[in-house]
Amino acid sequence: MDPSRITLRKFRPTDADDLFSWAGDDQVTRYLRWKTLESKQEALTFIEEVCMPHPWRRSICIDDCSVGFISVFSGSGEDRCRADIGYAVAVEFWGQGIASKAVEMAIPQVFQDFPELVRLQAYVDVENKASHRVLEKAGFSKEGLLRKYFYLKGRIKDLVVYSILSKDESI
Amino acid sequence: MENDYSDITFRLLDLSDADDFMEWYSDEKVSEFCSWDTFTSKQAAMQYVADNVIPHPWYKAICLKNKPIGSISVTPFSGYDICRAELGYVLGSKYWGKGIVTTAVKMAAASVFVEWPHLERLEAVVAVENMGSQRVLEKAGFTREGVLRKYYLLKGKPKDAVIFSLLSTDPQVNYLMYD
Repeated sequence: MDPSRITLRKFRPTDADDLFSWAGDDQVTRYLRWKTLESKQEALTFIEEVCMPHPWRRSICIDDCSVGFISVFSGSGEDRCRADIGYAVAVEFWGQGIASKAVEMAIPQVFQDFPELVRLQAYVDVENKASHRVLEKAGFSKEGLLRKYFYLKGRIKDLVVYSILSKDESI
Repeated sequence: MENDYSDITFRLLDLSDADDFMEWYSDEKVSEFCSWDTFTSKQAAMQYVADNVIPHPWYKAICLKNKPIGSISVTPFSGYDICRAELGYVLGSKYWGKGIVTTAVKMAAASVFVEWPHLERLEAVVAVENMGSQRVLEKAGFTREGVLRKYYLLKGKPKDAVIFSLLSTDPQVNYLMYD
């Protein structure tokens, strides 16, 4: 895939059909807290009520059509030096380095948009090997395995924690 | 005569314990890795205790022969994180190196795993330079899971921290210590 076709931008109401096509897919939402979307109407509501007001959420686009998302949540107080990143991509674009490219593109933007940020981290299900590879290709370091860390869709999860520091990425 | 450090009990901390808790709140060796700065007045320490300790869901004085010499807390998370709680502890520096906090941690773990049946994971986050605290957790049977770089701000500076955990199902948990 020609990398110049991959862009990040804020979500728009006109993305509803595209959003529904990947966020309506259980395979894509499997490791997300997102409930799988069930209609285009739900997709539009989700864009307007959740994606657009979100402090930092971007659509991963190919030729300006939404094929996935990246979100960043920053901490507060003594945790404001760190933020969590999450992402997903439509199944038809798995295995082509698209998520990695999107995450790589997001990193400098995130460190710029959150001036107090020093650490960008991700918690990934121990079973979700493809997602481990996304982060490794994007330059994150694996730091450890956190046992029984939280619940996702009713099951308690062992997670791998990855991070990239603002000083790592300014090479 | 040899000192006996085995008579360790827990009770709630009270504002009337101010003379005792001032011993560790005023100690620079103790505050080094804590979120609070050394207290210079008993009033300020009492205010901190009133605001942070008294309302806390699980906060105990560590007592040696019934005298408070430190404290231990378990802070629960909520929602999707309800399976998890964070351990913290502090001890007057003249009592360091005698295994007191290790005993207190084992007692606290047994208690919270019984009192909160939904709790699966007790974790602790320790600055990498705080070797004494890491030894406490290793001796208490916690698993060292990794180093989280620049994880949190300590006195305004990002710190590398070691994360440890103990699961309710780990064989190291001594439920016989539950009181």
